[in-house]
Amino acid sequence: MDGSVLLDILSRYVFNIANIQGMLRLATPVVLAGLCALITDRAGILNIAGEGMILLGAWFAVAASYFFGSSMMGLLGGIVAGLVVGALFALFSLKFRAHIIVMGIAINIFADAATIFLTRSVFGVAGGFTDPKIVGFGAIEIPFIKDIPILGELLSGYTFIVYLTWFLVAATALFLYRTPWGFHLRAVGENPEAAETMGINVQRIRFLAVMASGVFAALAGVYLSLGHLQGYVDKMAAGRGFIGMAVNTFGGGAPLGVFLSSLLFGFVDMLGFRLQAERIIPIYFVSMMPYIVTLAALTYFTIRRENARKRAATKKA
Amino acid sequence: MTNAVEMIGIRKVYPGVIANNNVNFSVATGEIHALVGENGAGKSTLMNVLFGLTRPEEGQIFINGKQVHIHKNSDAIALGIGMVHQSFKLVPSFTVTENITLGGEPRKGLLVDRKAAHDNIVEISKRFGLQVDPDARIRDLPVGVQQRVEILKALYHNADILILDEPTAVLTPQETRDLFGVIRSLVAKGKTVIFITHKFNEVMTISDRVTVMRDGKVVETKDTKDTNPTELARMMVGRDVLLRVDKAPANPKDVVLEVQDLEVLDNRNLKAVRGLSLQVRAGEILGIAGVEGNGQRELVEAIVGLRPVYSGKVVMQGKEITHASVRQRRDDGISCVPEDRYVRGVALRATLEDNLIVESYFKEPIGRGMLIDLNQVTEFSQNLIKKFDVRTPSSKVTAGALSGGNMQKVVLARELSLDPTLLIVAQPTRGLDVGSIEFVHRTIIEARDRGAAVLLVSAELEEIMSLSDRINVVYEGRIMGEVSGAEADEESLGLWMAGVGGNAEAAHEASSEHTAETLKG
Repeated sequence: MDGSVLLDILSRYVFNIANIQGMLRLATPVVLAGLCALITDRAGILNIAGEGMILLGAWFAVAASYFFGSSMMGLLGGIVAGLVVGALFALFSLKFRAHIIVMGIAINIFADAATIFLTRSVFGVAGGFTDPKIVGFGAIEIPFIKDIPILGELLSGYTFIVYLTWFLVAATALFLYRTPWGFHLRAVGENPEAAETMGINVQRIRFLAVMASGVFAALAGVYLSLGHLQGYVDKMAAGRGFIGMAVNTFGGGAPLGVFLSSLLFGFVDMLGFRLQAERIIPIYFVSMMPYIVTLAALTYFTIRRENARKRAATKKA
Repeated sequence: MTNAVEMIGIRKVYPGVIANNNVNFSVATGEIHALVGENGAGKSTLMNVLFGLTRPEEGQIFINGKQVHIHKNSDAIALGIGMVHQSFKLVPSFTVTENITLGGEPRKGLLVDRKAAHDNIVEISKRFGLQVDPDARIRDLPVGVQQRVEILKALYHNADILILDEPTAVLTPQETRDLFGVIRSLVAKGKTVIFITHKFNEVMTISDRVTVMRDGKVVETKDTKDTNPTELARMMVGRDVLLRVDKAPANPKDVVLEVQDLEVLDNRNLKAVRGLSLQVRAGEILGIAGVEGNGQRELVEAIVGLRPVYSGKVVMQGKEITHASVRQRRDDGISCVPEDRYVRGVALRATLEDNLIVESYFKEPIGRGMLIDLNQVTEFSQNLIKKFDVRTPSSKVTAGALSGGNMQKVVLARELSLDPTLLIVAQPTRGLDVGSIEFVHRTIIEARDRGAAVLLVSAELEEIMSLSDRINVVYEGRIMGEVSGAEADEESLGLWMAGVGGNAEAAHEASSEHTAETLKG
């Protein structure tokens, strides 16, 4: 293999603008799933219901968009679904003290079955639902910026949810590290007794955190059903709720960390699509790749970081 | 002079116990008021009522002469009451400033005004003479400084009445002296301090008045200058208490435990025990004195078989057990009261019965073939509970429901039920009140008098000196020197504990000898 072939492969699969755009798009639902995991994790709650919340958000977004003929109504429908399932999750696990893992599993199984049932009973079809009446999100070209060479192509031309996600990453960081409520949330997560003795309502903060996680997950669903595709497909969350937990851990519970770790998933996912088109590698292997690579990489880096921390601690002592 | 705090007729009932029974308690403005009592006497409950962490069934509270209703602890904070809990309520990853301002952050619009917060902390810490680095993270600070942060936190939230819940339990003598200085300067600036403790010397040193509680009631409130430790102890326990340990001279027999040139690694794989040798004879108490963290924990764990031996030997009655299993060592007659009773002493969520039989369930008469005879379990447990005076409603409550003193009695009961040849006790009275301490000490001496060899490890020098027949001082995993219990004085033990004198030279010589040999070779 001479140099020019390698360069060709690199530019086709890695260093070209279409690929970077693909990476950013495919990372978006994972970023949102990551924020869903992050906001509950920082409040000291183990929320494994992200997967189910994504599915419900995706389904209700499609339904609302179909019936009202508007993508923004679709967004609203998804958000309301996220709020409701978040509130139910919080009610049962925090107020009625149902076991949080069991509750999370219950929501995931329920969402899986409920969306299949609803697709059949509401739209009369099985497996998924597409229809011209479903209005998805179109690409937004940002004036002026779109005309800047390279940067314009990188920053412009995504759907609304992508920009919303970038905004939410920054907003979550600002919230966590600069606002009183962010401090309270982190205190609740790290030492609830400390928060409680300072008059902070631990239960209320956790409740709100779970509801916020519902919204983040639902947005991931909205992106999948109205941004990425225009329609609902059974099990379309495809494990992103769990990948969200992985990127949160790897991102160290920080919004920017979540964003960057999600890019890894987005990149491998994008690569999968390219390879799928070329039919070099069996398709099943290709669709496994993003998950395997992401988990392997995150595990490797997490272990390395833990070891480094341990070494630092030993040195100090 | 008005009273800063006046609590009248406070009654608080928990299932099965009256924690506060018609308690009257008043604290004058600007005084240091000590609140003493055994564990379970009701002092924590009373303070939790005052701080709004629990609500009483009956009673009235007046703050600065005005009747108040405290429903939740933010009410108490708003009334100028602050509490420093025994286990600190701090967020480890937050900075000092972030911890102090938590729940009352200065704001600029929607955001926290970080500069104002920082300046505020600097100002308060200067005003009260409590030095801290506002930007340090809590997890990097020593315990004494963390406590200062807790006090600052209360002051930041405008506390005029400060409740300190056993503040010296976690401090070194040096840090305790600093804390007393801080308390005095707070009172000089018009604050009122309630000081919960069960150490009488602290009451005598720091307080103006003292209130003694027992069994949910106030026994008496006195001016500190009109009382003395003996009287306080009597009021607290309800009978005369021996503050000194009474014991007959030892009558040592054969060597039971012999440790030879022992080396043991700690959790970080560093040598914690470095060539330590000792002997314990039947019928004597060998005390191991030393500042904590000098290899005591690793030594004990190596002897009982919980930690592998790196090199050297452990010999029990002439038989080497260096690598024997824990069960085997137990069968050889080793019993151990571990230093952390909550982690290794008892299983908190198991019943007293289960806790008491863990060393004997597999033996007759409790174990029968593959089954356990539950009637025997209850009988066995109830005998021990009676014999060791464990205060519990039944043998079927969980161990976690007991007070520290009663929990330690359960551990002692189990360990002594095996009639051990060697009894190892580590920090046996940590966190216990006088009544329980007296009981634990007496039990240890009784075990000795029955002929057991006792190895006592304690960070309390007073405990070591009053119980031990011989004392070894450990420093950095080696024995620095030995004295008999009768000849021991705090001064010279203290020097050894700091690594001065004693075998330090010997150890040094050993290493230079080693160098000489290497040179020769």
